[in-house]
Amino acid sequence: MTLRVAWLLARSGTGSRAATLLPIVAFAVVTALLLVVAGGAQAFWSWTDQTAGVYQVLSAIALALLVVPLLALGGSAARLSARRRDDRLSTLRLLGATPATVARLTVLESTALALAGAVVGVIGYFALVPAVALIPFRAEALGIPALVLAPWAIAAAVAGIAVVAAVSALIGLRQVVISPLGVRTRQNAPRLRWVRVAVGAAVIALALLLTNIVQIDVGITVIAIVLGCLFGGTLAVLNLVGPFVLRLMARRQVRRARTAAQLLGGRTVLESPKAAWRQVSGVAMTSFMAVFAGTGVAVLNAISGSEGATASDRALVTDIGTGLTITLVISFLMVACSAGVNQAADVFDRGDLYVNLGYLGMPRRIMDAARERAVMWPLVVVAVGSAAIAAIVVLPLAGYTLIVAPLSLLTIALSIAAGIGLVWAAMRLTRPVLTARLAAAA
Amino acid sequence: MASSILSARDIRKSYGSTVALDGVSLEIEAGESLALMGPSGSGKTTLLHLLAGILTPDSGEVGWNEHGSWQRVDQMKESRRSQLRRESFGFVFQQGLLIPELTALENVALALMIDGVSRPQSEQRARQKLAALGLEGMEDRRIGQLSGGQAQRVAIARAQVADAEIVFADEPTGALDSHTSEDVMTALLGATTGQGRSLVLVTHDETVAARCSRLLRMRDGRIVQQTRSIPEHPGITYTEARS
Repeated sequence: MTLRVAWLLARSGTGSRAATLLPIVAFAVVTALLLVVAGGAQAFWSWTDQTAGVYQVLSAIALALLVVPLLALGGSAARLSARRRDDRLSTLRLLGATPATVARLTVLESTALALAGAVVGVIGYFALVPAVALIPFRAEALGIPALVLAPWAIAAAVAGIAVVAAVSALIGLRQVVISPLGVRTRQNAPRLRWVRVAVGAAVIALALLLTNIVQIDVGITVIAIVLGCLFGGTLAVLNLVGPFVLRLMARRQVRRARTAAQLLGGRTVLESPKAAWRQVSGVAMTSFMAVFAGTGVAVLNAISGSEGATASDRALVTDIGTGLTITLVISFLMVACSAGVNQAADVFDRGDLYVNLGYLGMPRRIMDAARERAVMWPLVVVAVGSAAIAAIVVLPLAGYTLIVAPLSLLTIALSIAAGIGLVWAAMRLTRPVLTARLAAAA
Repeated sequence: MASSILSARDIRKSYGSTVALDGVSLEIEAGESLALMGPSGSGKTTLLHLLAGILTPDSGEVGWNEHGSWQRVDQMKESRRSQLRRESFGFVFQQGLLIPELTALENVALALMIDGVSRPQSEQRARQKLAALGLEGMEDRRIGQLSGGQAQRVAIARAQVADAEIVFADEPTGALDSHTSEDVMTALLGATTGQGRSLVLVTHDETVAARCSRLLRMRDGRIVQQTRSIPEHPGITYTEARS
């Protein structure tokens, strides 16, 4: 029965075509980037010489760093595909479908879209491989054979994407299962507590303590564990405190808003600081990484410029720089995709509202400005805030001189500016979605 | 003609091969309330949208009497029509279509802020309109915290906050029970014809239509019947059939 209903829903009219295509495109991007990253890591893991170990560890770190924005993008795509169906799933509940049926339908639809996107993503991956293969490591292009993953690895990645979609769909549609009439009902803006800030401050203090311990002569394993905790802990803090900070700032902005766009943008964030945070949280990660990268570049520059550096040291330094750049670029791409997907979903969700605001005479530029404000100012807050926290945490490790070294600052500033610029570009790309929605109603 | 503020002459509109309006002409007078009735697909909403400058006709004219000077709405650019809708027209929709994350006060004030009025001034006028519609003390409530009738009154306040000369309402009571519907109609008429403004509304409800000074029945994109109430003798109406 579920399959028959799913097929009926899938065959719905042309109006839902864009709503179907968008998550497919998002899943395709996720899959293609995931496979490219995995292919790159595989290239290093096929090496067996003396320095291979360093490359392998660094590639594992890069993979771990990319998991967060990847999951964020996967989650956005899944939520988008699930939200497209909110109305009809709610109606099914009203017609007497059981929560289990709705849950099965949700999983089925989201998984099907994710699988379709993943297949397109695999094609995208093969299209990207020749370009990525040209990137030099150890003064040699990686080469296509090193980047091509085994069929089982590709299949595993596709299956992983499908699982992310299924889980996110189930989480995203809990409301539909609980209350068929309550999907669109919004009551009080969710409250976020000060306890988050207290916990966040405690974790940062602990991280600082750990970084001081690292400076004492301890084994490599301890250093690795401490660094892992440092990274994971501060990122967790960012996720804990981020929505709270955004809510405080949005409240201030709503109070001080002078224009319609400022008021709408501020209220949108205040309505759901967690959702606003989710849209830009990937940038928290990239800004965080940018500080590490900036400091790392300065360290590497110092090493390669020193008198005792060998040719192999210099090659390693160059390669680490390349690796950092690739990691940052992929991370930014995923954040930008995530922002674009979320904004396109917002236009679909609130299409009727935008159309009617157009009837009232609200120019499209004000609607666009409000949408962009709701993303861009949290983005700037998040980017700068994350970089500041990262600098605090890195300070005991790298020292003040390295953090404020011109090369560090330049790398950090350029990375953050690139991240913000990419998200801004992704936002601009969603303008035609709103234009098309308004034109369809005219 | 002297008291007409909006006119349509022989307007036609098609969507692909479907003829939505087939040569409709009408005049809307200052201070009148006009109800448009008819079965689904008869062209009521299309006519409302054409009169309001949301759509433009394939042929025919829509004219707006701007302080004694007639302007062709159908020939205006979209930006000019948007300006007209902001400054001279008001809208009330079936679901209110208010912005859920804004408070009642902000929803009403926004209509003025879009037009460049300062926020304090916009909020002051919005507060007055809400109070006039019996919503004093509810200014800071979000839309989800209001009943259906209260939300519609917020929508009416929004439609009239810029002192619109004409309000267009598309099934404003369609989602309400009969008692609330009556209250909302009283509020709507009070905020429009009660202030010397005009009201054009689309409805399926005979009770709602009966409270308007003129009723146009539509079928297949044409006006087929017109009924006027006689102001001096409320309750007495005369009906004319139109071909």
